[in-house]
Amino acid sequence: MSLIHALRTRLGLILARRAAEARMDEEIRLHVELESERLVREAGLDPLEARRRALVAFGGVERYREELRDGRGLAWLGGFSLDVKLGARMLVKYPGLSVVAVLGMTVAIAIGSIAFTFVSAFLDPTLPLNEGERVVSIQNADVRRPSNPDRHALRDFALWRDRLTRLRDIGAYTMDSRTLVLPDGSADLVPVAFITASGFRVAQVVPAIGRTLLDDDEREGAPPVLVIGFEEWQRRFGGDSGVIGRTVRLGNAMHTVVGVMPAGFHFPVNHRYWAPLRLDPAAYEPGGGPELHMFARLAAGVTLEEAQAELAAVGPAGAETRPQLRPQLLPYAYEYLGLDSPERAIFLRGIQLAVSLLLVVVAVNVSVLVYARTAARAGELAVRTALGASRLRVVGQLFAEALVLSALAAALGLTIARVGLATVVEQVAGSGLPFWLDFGLSPGLVLYVAGSAVLGAVIVGVLPGLRATGRDVQSGLAQLSARGSRMQLGRTWTAVIIAQVAIAVAVLPYVSYVAGQALRRGTAAPNFPIHEILRTQVALDRLEAPPAAEAAAYDSAGNALLLNRVQELVRRLEAEPGVAGVTFASHFPGEEGSARLEVEGGETSSVRLSRVDVDLLPVLGIRMLAGRGFAAPDVRVNASAADSTRSGTSGADATTAVVNRALAETMGTTGAVLDRRVRFVRRTEDGRGGWRIEQGPWIEVVGVMPDFTVQDDIDQAELKVYLPASLAGVLNGERSVDLAVRVRGSSAAAFTKRFREVAVAVDPALQLHDLRTAADLQWETQRLLRLMGLAVAGATLSVLLLSAAGIYAMMSFTVARRRREIGIRVALGANARRILSGIFARASAQLAAGVLVGALLAAAINQAAGGGLLTGEHRLLLPLAAVAMVLIGLLAALGPARRGLRVQPTEALREE
Amino acid sequence: MTELPVPARRTPTDVLRGSLDLLVLKTLSLMPMHGWGISQRIQQLSEGVLEVNQGSLYPALQRLEKDGLVASEWGTTDNNRRARYYRLTAAGRRALGQELESWRRFSTGLETVLRTG
Repeated sequence: MSLIHALRTRLGLILARRAAEARMDEEIRLHVELESERLVREAGLDPLEARRRALVAFGGVERYREELRDGRGLAWLGGFSLDVKLGARMLVKYPGLSVVAVLGMTVAIAIGSIAFTFVSAFLDPTLPLNEGERVVSIQNADVRRPSNPDRHALRDFALWRDRLTRLRDIGAYTMDSRTLVLPDGSADLVPVAFITASGFRVAQVVPAIGRTLLDDDEREGAPPVLVIGFEEWQRRFGGDSGVIGRTVRLGNAMHTVVGVMPAGFHFPVNHRYWAPLRLDPAAYEPGGGPELHMFARLAAGVTLEEAQAELAAVGPAGAETRPQLRPQLLPYAYEYLGLDSPERAIFLRGIQLAVSLLLVVVAVNVSVLVYARTAARAGELAVRTALGASRLRVVGQLFAEALVLSALAAALGLTIARVGLATVVEQVAGSGLPFWLDFGLSPGLVLYVAGSAVLGAVIVGVLPGLRATGRDVQSGLAQLSARGSRMQLGRTWTAVIIAQVAIAVAVLPYVSYVAGQALRRGTAAPNFPIHEILRTQVALDRLEAPPAAEAAAYDSAGNALLLNRVQELVRRLEAEPGVAGVTFASHFPGEEGSARLEVEGGETSSVRLSRVDVDLLPVLGIRMLAGRGFAAPDVRVNASAADSTRSGTSGADATTAVVNRALAETMGTTGAVLDRRVRFVRRTEDGRGGWRIEQGPWIEVVGVMPDFTVQDDIDQAELKVYLPASLAGVLNGERSVDLAVRVRGSSAAAFTKRFREVAVAVDPALQLHDLRTAADLQWETQRLLRLMGLAVAGATLSVLLLSAAGIYAMMSFTVARRRREIGIRVALGANARRILSGIFARASAQLAAGVLVGALLAAAINQAAGGGLLTGEHRLLLPLAAVAMVLIGLLAALGPARRGLRVQPTEALREE
Repeated sequence: MTELPVPARRTPTDVLRGSLDLLVLKTLSLMPMHGWGISQRIQQLSEGVLEVNQGSLYPALQRLEKDGLVASEWGTTDNNRRARYYRLTAAGRRALGQELESWRRFSTGLETVLRTG
């Protein structure tokens, strides 16, 4: 027999089942027709009788079809599809159970899918480059700080580029930003990769037009060139192919555009502009120079381990003075994800597993519900078994039914996950994601979801099925006609209910706090005119790390230039029509830095600190709650302050401070805070393994400001301290300053373009980072909170729903089992109330046990979380959670109890 | 179980399931035929002694097709009706030879036993 023929026939039959059935029908029809005609012809019967006999002779069309299916080895398929149909029918027949089960599993599968997608994207990234798996990162791991490699590796880079033979096209880049000024005068700050030409050889991508960078472009004195990404070419240059050879301004230097890379090319991370990396390693000491990211391709036939061995043998430059360094190779993407230690990968896998376990928890819950339903069908199952259905067949049927539930949940969960992921990724990252991260629908995700559906179905269908069919079928049959099901809800089940209530009670206070706080803060409006404020962080193009010999002079010249430029920028902005005020701060409100503050005669606590323009609060329209705001005399120019500023006891030159309401409340009543003194403290390593405490001078609190920003986390209200400073004071030793412009009346967004133009006019080397309205910033920081709040609330609700459903199922089951007993008692004149209380007794006992265990757990959680969740303004959360669970439990028990009371004695007894 | 065909001269014998394949293959070795034709031909050739259980015929055909012993295609009958025609494949022809051989051995053996018994 020809194998191919057999395969084709079989495949054809399987795939074209409908066609096969149609063919079958046609053959039967013809057969019956021909046979009837023969009977008419040969036996002289009338056509009707002839047809009847022909049909009878055929022996039943359905049997014939079944045999045909058997002949194809597809009997199980017919049976399975029947089971699936039955499952769909059960879905409709028990809508409550279906909704609860599908909803619970949907949430679990959605959360699992999101976690799976994230973890796979991070742990199993595939570089969308030719032989991307052979592209590696090179870094100097530091044994003293495992998670913080030493990136000042210019000399190492030069050494390795010369010496390593098992790696080719070793390259490096630094990340920086430059103000791009187009011929039409429009300007924008764009991220630029300053990269060696070898980067394009490693990527092995040819430009869409023009050329990539060449080794010669890195030569000192070569004309500055720029390669741009396809998307930017479309957006800013209108896709004009005449762009090649045109010059554009990047900061202070004119660059000639030499090439456009194809769409989607964003090597090395998410870049759209590439300029040559020009650094002279000879000018630097080992360990000097800017932060470098290095990459390479494994040479042909070389494994990562072999290349690693060579790298370790060569070692870093000046190895004798840098014994803590361990040069290492990593799969390219790992470096950027901080996945250079196996522990982190294991940690991520752990999260993935833990999240997947959520499905198991939910599925076990649902299986409890299904078990209760299966118990109600014990009779049916017994009959089927008696009629010859094997245990496998019966369990298979229950599995198929559960599969209908879980498949539906999987489809819904996957959809929710896709939408949710798209939202999260778009909102969290925008286009700032590394180019290799792909959160799309991968085959792995589909497999994961399918696997989840099957796992869910096994837990939901097979486990109860095995229990239900494991008992003596004879007794099941006997009970069918006699006393109803004797299937037990054993101790395990009671334990599950108790555990469920306990977990809900224990976790509810915490999650409701988290969800409530996240939603409250996520929707709160800050108390200043955010739509009128345009803010940015101003810096100047400069070398990150000049050679040591010239560093001091370079930095002081740079600092002076930045101060000069910002002063000029402020002056020009103030002169713009429509600008109501320009102000500055070391950190814009809401983005303050951190410090430790000691209150005189009080405690030391962690605070958020900003050094601000004396006009900051008036420009933002903030009114003081008590005391006064800053005034010009508060700023004391103190030349000796520079060192103390850098040492971190920031504000050593300030003598006055303003605190926010939250901090004032920790210090006493608002009025009493004024004239209290505070000082900054800082712990530094003393070099002998101990700590040295540095204390700043005492500072007088002169005013209390409201908490006018919205916090972007769910922690307790932040304590804030503002110190007055001049622009020179804020910039002292710093490389940037936050600038804010208040635009009168209209939305500040419209002023963005003008802001950039003014800055370019002052100096094209000025960098306006993150220039946007305070409203935009607010919206973005709150978006995560809202997402988090909704996600936590959704997950909590579904857990609650499952708990309620579990209790409901248990009660229904108990009532169903005691139907006859209730009937007899009612017939004998028992008091309905007493029976009712009897039914409630068991539920109450379980609820009480659950609440008790839950309260203990909550206390433990509170202890572990550092306390505070069960006291103060949150002290009601635990009692509320307990009451909520008891209410939910009792409500869930009410329906079945009432049903029990409606049992008619005659009916109940007739079942005997 | 089977209704008798009319008229019934002798009591027809149900074709044993095992021998049905052999009969079908033998019948098809003469010419391609549709299902009803096969059942009629077997009855004819056996002079009404053997009657094919019509419900078993089609599964048998399907089985034989699956095993690659017969092939089928749509054709038209003498009076222009669409019918599925089955024909013997090369493999079917070989199988027929083997089946015939083993059937002969079996019937000879059976005959011998019955005679001596």
